[in-house]
Amino acid sequence: MAGTSPTDVQPPYFYPDYKSTRLRAPVQPLVRVAASPLELAGPGFPRNFFKDSEADLTTWGKSAPLGEKMILVGRILDEDGRPVRRSLVEVWQANASGRYPHPVDDHDAPLDPNFLGKGQVLTDDEGRYRIVTVKPGAYPWQNHAFGWRPAHIHFSLFGNAYAQRLITQMFFPGDPLLAIDPIFQSVPEAGRNLLIADLDLEQGIEGVALGYRWDMVLGGPRATPMGV
Amino acid sequence: MRKPTPSQTVGPFFARELLWKDGGIVLFPGRGERITLTGCVFDGAGTPIYDALFETWQADSSGQFPSGHDGARPYGYGRVSTDTEGRYAIETIMPGSFKGPGGERYAPQISVSIFARGLLKALQTRVFLAPLDVIKDDPLVRAIGDPERVRTLIASRDPGDPKLYRWDVRLRGAGEAVFIEI
Repeated sequence: MAGTSPTDVQPPYFYPDYKSTRLRAPVQPLVRVAASPLELAGPGFPRNFFKDSEADLTTWGKSAPLGEKMILVGRILDEDGRPVRRSLVEVWQANASGRYPHPVDDHDAPLDPNFLGKGQVLTDDEGRYRIVTVKPGAYPWQNHAFGWRPAHIHFSLFGNAYAQRLITQMFFPGDPLLAIDPIFQSVPEAGRNLLIADLDLEQGIEGVALGYRWDMVLGGPRATPMGV
Repeated sequence: MRKPTPSQTVGPFFARELLWKDGGIVLFPGRGERITLTGCVFDGAGTPIYDALFETWQADSSGQFPSGHDGARPYGYGRVSTDTEGRYAIETIMPGSFKGPGGERYAPQISVSIFARGLLKALQTRVFLAPLDVIKDDPLVRAIGDPERVRTLIASRDPGDPKLYRWDVRLRGAGEAVFIEI
Protein backbone atom coordinates (compact mmCIF):
# COMPACT_ATOMS: atom_id res chain seq x y z
CA MET A 1 0.00 0.00 0.00
CA ALA A 2 2.96 2.26 0.47
CA GLY A 3 3.27 4.80 -2.28
CA THR A 4 -0.19 4.34 -3.70
CA SER A 5 -2.85 6.96 -3.41
CA PRO A 6 -6.52 6.10 -3.65
CA THR A 7 -7.26 9.56 -4.97
CA ASP A 8 -6.97 8.51 -8.61
CA VAL A 9 -10.21 6.53 -8.40
CA GLN A 10 -12.02 8.14 -5.48
CA PRO A 11 -14.48 11.00 -5.91
CA PRO A 12 -13.73 14.35 -4.26
CA TYR A 13 -15.83 15.58 -1.37
CA PHE A 14 -16.74 18.79 -3.18
CA TYR A 15 -18.43 18.13 -6.52
CA PRO A 16 -20.75 21.06 -7.29
CA ASP A 17 -22.77 19.22 -9.96
CA TYR A 18 -24.00 17.05 -7.10
CA LYS A 19 -25.65 19.87 -5.21
CA SER A 20 -25.74 18.32 -1.78
CA THR A 21 -21.93 18.33 -1.65
CA ARG A 22 -21.86 22.13 -1.67
CA LEU A 23 -22.78 22.51 1.98
CA ARG A 24 -21.49 19.20 3.27
CA ALA A 25 -17.99 18.79 1.82
CA PRO A 26 -15.26 19.93 4.22
CA VAL A 27 -13.12 22.88 3.14
CA GLN A 28 -9.97 21.88 5.01
CA PRO A 29 -7.76 19.14 3.62
CA LEU A 30 -7.89 15.81 5.43
CA VAL A 31 -5.17 15.26 8.01
CA ARG A 32 -3.15 12.26 6.89
CA VAL A 33 -2.29 10.02 9.76
CA ALA A 34 -1.36 6.37 10.17
CA ALA A 35 -4.27 4.12 11.00
CA SER A 36 -4.33 3.49 14.73
CA PRO A 37 -4.13 -0.12 15.94
CA LEU A 38 -7.80 0.30 16.83
CA GLU A 39 -8.60 1.14 13.21
CA LEU A 40 -6.62 -1.87 12.01
CA ALA A 41 -9.02 -4.02 14.01
CA GLY A 42 -12.72 -4.11 13.30
CA PRO A 43 -16.07 -5.39 14.45
CA GLY A 44 -16.62 -9.15 14.33
CA PHE A 45 -19.42 -10.74 12.34
CA PRO A 46 -19.37 -14.54 12.72
CA ARG A 47 -20.54 -16.94 10.06
CA ASN A 48 -24.28 -17.57 10.18
CA PHE A 49 -24.77 -14.26 11.97
CA PHE A 50 -27.62 -13.68 9.56
CA LYS A 51 -30.07 -16.07 8.06
CA ASP A 52 -29.12 -17.32 4.60
CA SER A 53 -32.51 -16.14 3.41
CA GLU A 54 -31.44 -12.53 3.89
CA ALA A 55 -29.28 -12.87 0.79
CA ASP A 56 -32.44 -13.40 -1.25
CA LEU A 57 -34.45 -10.19 -1.58
CA THR A 58 -37.18 -11.90 -3.58
CA THR A 59 -38.66 -14.07 -0.85
CA TRP A 60 -39.97 -11.52 1.66
CA GLY A 61 -43.50 -11.33 0.36
CA LYS A 62 -46.36 -13.71 -0.27
CA SER A 63 -45.34 -13.98 -3.90
CA ALA A 64 -42.47 -12.93 -6.11
CA PRO A 65 -41.75 -9.22 -6.59
CA LEU A 66 -42.25 -7.53 -9.92
CA GLY A 67 -39.24 -7.00 -12.14
CA GLU A 68 -36.33 -8.70 -13.85
CA LYS A 69 -35.07 -11.34 -11.46
CA MET A 70 -31.29 -11.32 -11.20
CA ILE A 71 -28.50 -13.08 -9.36
CA LEU A 72 -25.47 -11.04 -8.44
CA VAL A 73 -22.23 -12.75 -7.50
CA GLY A 74 -18.79 -11.45 -6.82
CA ARG A 75 -15.76 -11.42 -4.60
CA ILE A 76 -14.43 -8.89 -2.16
CA LEU A 77 -10.66 -8.61 -2.19
CA ASP A 78 -8.05 -6.37 -0.68
CA GLU A 79 -5.61 -4.40 -2.82
CA ASP A 80 -3.19 -7.34 -2.84
CA GLY A 81 -5.89 -9.64 -4.18
CA ARG A 82 -6.48 -11.51 -0.93
CA PRO A 83 -10.08 -12.46 -0.16
CA VAL A 84 -11.90 -10.47 2.49
CA ARG A 85 -13.39 -13.31 4.51
CA ARG A 86 -16.52 -13.44 6.68
CA SER A 87 -17.18 -9.81 6.08
CA LEU A 88 -20.62 -8.23 6.30
CA VAL A 89 -22.16 -7.05 3.02
CA GLU A 90 -25.36 -5.04 3.28
CA VAL A 91 -27.38 -4.08 0.21
CA TRP A 92 -30.39 -1.89 -0.36
CA GLN A 93 -32.12 -0.73 -3.50
CA ALA A 94 -35.25 0.65 -5.15
CA ASN A 95 -37.85 -1.75 -6.51
CA ALA A 96 -38.30 -2.48 -10.20
CA SER A 97 -40.25 0.74 -10.72
CA GLY A 98 -37.65 2.90 -9.01
CA ARG A 99 -39.29 3.35 -5.61
CA TYR A 100 -37.82 2.84 -2.13
CA PRO A 101 -40.07 1.81 0.74
CA HIS A 102 -38.78 4.84 2.65
CA PRO A 103 -40.86 7.71 4.06
CA VAL A 104 -38.64 10.31 2.39
CA ASP A 105 -39.12 8.83 -1.09
CA ASP A 106 -42.02 10.70 -2.70
CA HIS A 107 -41.44 9.41 -6.24
CA ASP A 108 -44.82 8.74 -7.81
CA ALA A 109 -44.13 5.11 -8.64
CA PRO A 110 -45.76 2.09 -7.04
CA LEU A 111 -44.46 0.33 -3.99
CA ASP A 112 -44.22 -3.43 -4.35
CA PRO A 113 -45.73 -5.22 -1.34
CA ASN A 114 -43.49 -8.18 -2.12
CA PHE A 115 -40.24 -6.26 -2.17
CA LEU A 116 -38.44 -4.48 0.66
CA GLY A 117 -35.18 -4.01 -1.21
CA LYS A 118 -32.95 -4.94 1.72
CA GLY A 119 -30.52 -7.79 2.18
CA GLN A 120 -27.35 -8.87 3.91
CA VAL A 121 -24.82 -11.62 3.54
CA LEU A 122 -21.40 -12.60 4.86
CA THR A 123 -18.60 -13.34 2.43
CA ASP A 124 -17.28 -16.89 2.50
CA ASP A 125 -13.68 -18.03 2.92
CA GLU A 126 -12.91 -17.05 -0.67
CA GLY A 127 -14.42 -13.59 -0.20
CA ARG A 128 -17.44 -14.53 -2.31
CA TYR A 129 -20.98 -13.25 -1.94
CA ARG A 130 -24.20 -14.03 -3.83
CA ILE A 131 -27.49 -12.19 -3.68
CA VAL A 132 -30.79 -12.80 -5.44
CA THR A 133 -32.89 -9.75 -6.25
CA VAL A 134 -34.69 -7.89 -9.02
CA LYS A 135 -33.11 -5.21 -11.15
CA PRO A 136 -33.87 -1.82 -9.57
CA GLY A 137 -35.55 0.84 -11.65
CA ALA A 138 -34.17 4.28 -12.45
CA TYR A 139 -35.89 7.19 -10.69
CA PRO A 140 -36.07 10.96 -10.99
CA TRP A 141 -34.43 13.25 -8.45
CA GLN A 142 -34.35 16.97 -7.80
CA ASN A 143 -30.64 17.63 -8.23
CA HIS A 144 -30.98 19.15 -11.72
CA ALA A 145 -33.52 19.52 -14.53
CA PHE A 146 -34.63 16.15 -15.92
CA GLY A 147 -32.30 14.38 -13.51
CA TRP A 148 -32.72 10.62 -13.20
CA ARG A 149 -30.54 8.32 -11.17
CA PRO A 150 -29.33 5.31 -13.16
CA ALA A 151 -30.37 1.92 -11.79
CA HIS A 152 -28.11 1.07 -8.86
CA ILE A 153 -27.74 -1.16 -5.83
CA HIS A 154 -26.30 0.35 -2.64
CA PHE A 155 -23.54 -1.63 -0.92
CA SER A 156 -22.18 -1.27 2.60
CA LEU A 157 -18.99 -3.21 3.36
CA PHE A 158 -17.10 -3.65 6.61
CA GLY A 159 -13.99 -5.47 5.44
CA ASN A 160 -11.79 -6.93 8.15
CA ALA A 161 -10.63 -3.63 9.62
CA TYR A 162 -12.44 -0.45 10.54
CA ALA A 163 -10.11 1.38 8.14
CA GLN A 164 -11.58 -0.63 5.21
CA ARG A 165 -15.18 0.49 5.77
CA LEU A 166 -16.83 1.39 2.46
CA ILE A 167 -20.26 2.43 1.27
CA THR A 168 -20.75 2.54 -2.48
CA GLN A 169 -23.17 1.87 -5.35
CA MET A 170 -23.16 -0.71 -8.13
CA PHE A 171 -24.41 0.22 -11.60
CA PHE A 172 -25.48 -1.75 -14.68
CA PRO A 173 -23.59 -2.04 -17.98
CA GLY A 174 -24.75 0.04 -20.91
CA ASP A 175 -27.00 2.35 -18.92
CA PRO A 176 -27.34 5.66 -20.82
CA LEU A 177 -28.17 7.49 -17.57
CA LEU A 178 -24.62 6.99 -16.29
CA ALA A 179 -23.49 9.82 -18.56
CA ILE A 180 -25.78 12.33 -16.86
CA ASP A 181 -25.47 11.15 -13.26
CA PRO A 182 -23.28 13.50 -11.22
CA ILE A 183 -22.88 10.96 -8.41
CA PHE A 184 -21.40 8.41 -10.81
CA GLN A 185 -19.53 11.10 -12.78
CA SER A 186 -17.93 12.39 -9.56
CA VAL A 187 -15.64 9.35 -9.76
CA PRO A 188 -12.51 10.06 -11.81
CA GLU A 189 -12.61 8.35 -15.18
CA ALA A 190 -10.07 5.73 -14.10
CA GLY A 191 -12.46 4.51 -11.43
CA ARG A 192 -15.84 4.53 -13.14
CA ASN A 193 -15.72 1.07 -14.68
CA LEU A 194 -15.01 -0.33 -11.23
CA LEU A 195 -18.59 0.54 -10.26
CA ILE A 196 -20.26 -1.26 -13.18
CA ALA A 197 -21.24 -4.93 -12.96
CA ASP A 198 -20.61 -7.35 -15.81
CA LEU A 199 -23.38 -9.40 -17.35
CA ASP A 200 -22.48 -13.01 -16.53
CA LEU A 201 -25.29 -15.15 -17.86
CA GLU A 202 -23.99 -18.41 -16.46
CA GLN A 203 -24.37 -17.09 -12.93
CA GLY A 204 -28.08 -16.73 -13.62
CA ILE A 205 -30.69 -19.46 -13.81
CA GLU A 206 -31.75 -20.59 -17.25
CA GLY A 207 -35.21 -19.24 -18.03
CA VAL A 208 -35.52 -17.59 -14.59
CA ALA A 209 -32.90 -15.02 -13.67
CA LEU A 210 -30.18 -12.95 -15.30
CA GLY A 211 -26.68 -13.25 -13.89
CA TYR A 212 -24.34 -10.40 -13.05
CA ARG A 213 -20.90 -10.29 -11.50
CA TRP A 214 -19.37 -7.47 -9.50
CA ASP A 215 -16.10 -7.73 -7.63
CA MET A 216 -15.04 -5.14 -5.08
CA VAL A 217 -11.64 -4.16 -3.75
CA LEU A 218 -11.29 -2.62 -0.32
CA GLY A 219 -8.49 -0.14 0.01
CA GLY A 220 -6.25 -0.85 2.92
CA PRO A 221 -5.10 1.62 5.47
CA ARG A 222 -1.97 3.39 4.33
CA ALA A 223 1.35 1.99 5.45
CA THR A 224 2.53 3.08 8.85
CA PRO A 225 6.14 3.77 9.75
CA MET A 226 6.18 0.29 11.26
CA GLY A 227 5.01 -1.25 8.00
CA VAL A 228 1.68 -2.43 9.36
CA MET B 1 -1.91 -3.80 -6.80
CA ARG B 2 -5.63 -3.59 -7.48
CA LYS B 3 -7.48 -0.32 -7.63
CA PRO B 4 -9.86 0.12 -4.72
CA THR B 5 -13.55 0.31 -5.46
CA PRO B 6 -14.60 3.97 -5.48
CA SER B 7 -16.86 5.26 -2.75
CA GLN B 8 -20.35 6.60 -3.43
CA THR B 9 -22.81 8.41 -1.21
CA VAL B 10 -25.02 6.48 1.21
CA GLY B 11 -27.88 8.63 -0.13
CA PRO B 12 -31.06 9.55 1.72
CA PHE B 13 -32.79 6.17 1.69
CA PHE B 14 -30.71 4.01 4.02
CA ALA B 15 -32.60 4.15 7.30
CA ARG B 16 -34.59 0.96 7.33
CA GLU B 17 -31.80 -1.00 5.73
CA LEU B 18 -28.78 -0.05 7.79
CA LEU B 19 -30.03 0.78 11.25
CA TRP B 20 -29.75 -1.90 13.89
CA LYS B 21 -32.14 -2.28 16.78
CA ASP B 22 -30.55 -0.42 19.72
CA GLY B 23 -27.61 0.37 17.44
CA GLY B 24 -26.76 3.37 19.63
CA ILE B 25 -26.13 1.18 22.68
CA VAL B 26 -22.61 -0.15 22.26
CA LEU B 27 -22.00 -3.61 23.68
CA PHE B 28 -18.87 -4.95 25.37
CA PRO B 29 -18.09 -8.31 26.94
CA GLY B 30 -16.81 -6.63 30.11
CA ARG B 31 -17.69 -3.74 32.34
CA GLY B 32 -16.80 -0.09 32.21
CA GLU B 33 -17.78 3.40 33.15
CA ARG B 34 -21.02 4.10 31.30
CA ILE B 35 -21.02 7.32 29.29
CA THR B 36 -23.12 8.87 26.53
CA LEU B 37 -21.57 10.70 23.60
CA THR B 38 -24.10 13.04 22.05
CA GLY B 39 -24.31 16.12 19.87
CA CYS B 40 -25.46 17.46 16.54
CA VAL B 41 -24.09 17.31 13.01
CA PHE B 42 -24.26 20.60 11.07
CA ASP B 43 -23.61 21.54 7.45
CA GLY B 44 -21.72 24.57 6.15
CA ALA B 45 -24.75 26.84 6.63
CA GLY B 46 -25.15 25.75 10.25
CA THR B 47 -28.22 23.70 9.41
CA PRO B 48 -28.62 20.38 11.24
CA ILE B 49 -28.06 17.33 9.05
CA TYR B 50 -31.02 15.06 9.68
CA ASP B 51 -30.01 12.20 7.39
CA ALA B 52 -26.49 11.25 8.43
CA LEU B 53 -25.36 7.77 9.38
CA PHE B 54 -23.05 8.03 12.41
CA GLU B 55 -20.85 5.06 13.30
CA THR B 56 -18.41 4.56 16.16
CA TRP B 57 -15.69 2.02 16.93
CA GLN B 58 -13.66 2.00 20.12
CA ALA B 59 -11.54 0.12 22.62
CA ASP B 60 -12.97 -1.28 25.83
CA SER B 61 -12.26 0.22 29.23
CA SER B 62 -8.84 -1.45 29.42
CA GLY B 63 -7.77 -0.32 25.95
CA GLN B 64 -8.33 -3.72 24.32
CA PHE B 65 -10.03 -3.87 20.93
CA PRO B 66 -13.30 -5.77 20.98
CA SER B 67 -13.76 -8.87 18.87
CA GLY B 68 -16.80 -11.05 18.53
CA HIS B 69 -20.39 -10.26 19.30
CA ASP B 70 -23.18 -10.86 21.76
CA GLY B 71 -25.37 -12.71 19.27
CA ALA B 72 -27.19 -9.62 18.11
CA ARG B 73 -24.49 -7.08 17.31
CA PRO B 74 -20.70 -6.86 17.23
CA TYR B 75 -18.95 -5.60 20.33
CA GLY B 76 -17.55 -2.10 20.30
CA TYR B 77 -19.50 -0.76 17.33
CA GLY B 78 -22.20 1.88 17.42
CA ARG B 79 -24.48 2.84 14.56
CA VAL B 80 -27.24 5.43 14.57
CA SER B 81 -28.73 8.03 12.27
CA THR B 82 -29.10 11.67 13.18
CA ASP B 83 -32.63 12.82 13.94
CA THR B 84 -34.61 15.77 12.59
CA GLU B 85 -32.51 18.13 14.75
CA GLY B 86 -29.26 16.61 13.56
CA ARG B 87 -28.77 14.89 16.90
CA TYR B 88 -27.05 11.56 17.51
CA ALA B 89 -26.47 9.70 20.78
CA ILE B 90 -24.14 6.79 21.50
CA GLU B 91 -24.43 5.04 24.86
CA THR B 92 -21.15 3.34 25.54
CA ILE B 93 -18.32 2.99 28.03
CA MET B 94 -15.27 5.16 28.55
CA PRO B 95 -12.55 3.67 26.32
CA GLY B 96 -9.11 3.07 27.75
CA SER B 97 -5.97 4.45 26.16
CA PHE B 98 -3.84 2.11 24.06
CA LYS B 99 -0.37 1.88 22.55
CA GLY B 100 0.69 1.97 18.92
CA PRO B 101 3.31 -0.26 17.28
CA GLY B 102 6.06 2.26 18.01
CA GLY B 103 5.07 2.60 21.66
CA GLU B 104 3.15 5.82 21.07
CA ARG B 105 0.25 6.35 23.44
CA TYR B 106 -3.25 6.90 22.04
CA ALA B 107 -5.47 8.97 24.35
CA PRO B 108 -8.99 7.74 25.18
CA GLN B 109 -10.84 8.18 21.90
CA ILE B 110 -13.62 6.91 19.69
CA SER B 111 -13.15 6.47 15.95
CA VAL B 112 -16.09 8.00 14.07
CA SER B 113 -17.35 7.62 10.51
CA ILE B 114 -20.04 9.90 9.11
CA PHE B 115 -21.95 9.02 5.95
CA ALA B 116 -24.68 11.16 4.40
CA ARG B 117 -26.37 12.35 1.26
CA GLY B 118 -23.91 14.84 -0.21
CA LEU B 119 -20.89 12.97 1.14
CA LEU B 120 -19.37 11.05 -1.75
CA LYS B 121 -16.95 9.46 0.73
CA ALA B 122 -17.22 8.80 4.44
CA LEU B 123 -15.82 11.43 6.76
CA GLN B 124 -13.56 9.77 9.30
CA THR B 125 -12.19 11.23 12.47
CA ARG B 126 -11.47 10.51 16.14
CA VAL B 127 -13.21 12.16 19.05
CA PHE B 128 -11.32 12.57 22.32
CA LEU B 129 -12.87 12.13 25.74
CA ALA B 130 -10.30 14.05 27.75
CA PRO B 131 -9.15 17.69 27.87
CA LEU B 132 -6.43 19.13 25.67
CA ASP B 133 -3.65 18.94 28.25
CA VAL B 134 -4.27 15.21 28.75
CA ILE B 135 -4.29 14.31 25.04
CA LYS B 136 -1.41 16.48 23.86
CA ASP B 137 0.86 13.52 23.10
CA ASP B 138 -1.73 11.57 21.11
CA PRO B 139 -0.48 10.88 17.53
CA LEU B 140 -3.41 12.68 15.87
CA VAL B 141 -3.21 15.65 18.22
CA ARG B 142 0.47 15.98 17.34
CA ALA B 143 -0.28 15.65 13.63
CA ILE B 144 -2.89 18.43 13.79
CA GLY B 145 -0.73 20.80 15.81
CA ASP B 146 -3.03 23.82 16.02
CA PRO B 147 -4.88 23.61 19.37
CA GLU B 148 -7.89 25.42 17.93
CA ARG B 149 -8.33 22.68 15.38
CA VAL B 150 -7.72 19.96 17.96
CA ARG B 151 -10.56 21.43 20.03
CA THR B 152 -13.00 20.49 17.24
CA LEU B 153 -12.37 16.86 18.23
CA ILE B 154 -12.72 17.14 22.00
CA ALA B 155 -16.01 16.09 23.54
CA SER B 156 -16.78 18.26 26.53
CA ARG B 157 -18.06 16.78 29.74
CA ASP B 158 -21.43 18.15 30.73
CA PRO B 159 -21.03 20.15 33.98
CA GLY B 160 -24.40 18.95 35.20
CA ASP B 161 -23.99 15.28 34.26
CA PRO B 162 -20.50 13.76 34.39
CA LYS B 163 -21.63 10.77 32.31
CA LEU B 164 -22.56 12.98 29.38
CA TYR B 165 -20.03 14.03 26.75
CA ARG B 166 -21.11 16.57 24.14
CA TRP B 167 -19.57 16.76 20.71
CA ASP B 168 -21.04 18.80 17.89
CA VAL B 169 -19.66 18.19 14.41
CA ARG B 170 -19.49 20.88 11.74
CA LEU B 171 -18.75 19.38 8.35
CA ARG B 172 -17.80 22.58 6.58
CA GLY B 173 -16.78 26.18 7.24
CA ALA B 174 -16.37 27.95 10.58
CA GLY B 175 -15.55 25.49 13.34
CA GLU B 176 -15.15 22.68 10.80
CA ALA B 177 -14.07 19.47 12.50
CA VAL B 178 -10.76 17.88 11.60
CA PHE B 179 -11.29 14.86 9.37
CA ILE B 180 -8.61 12.32 8.68
CA GLU B 181 -7.26 10.09 5.95
CA ILE B 182 -6.00 6.82 7.37
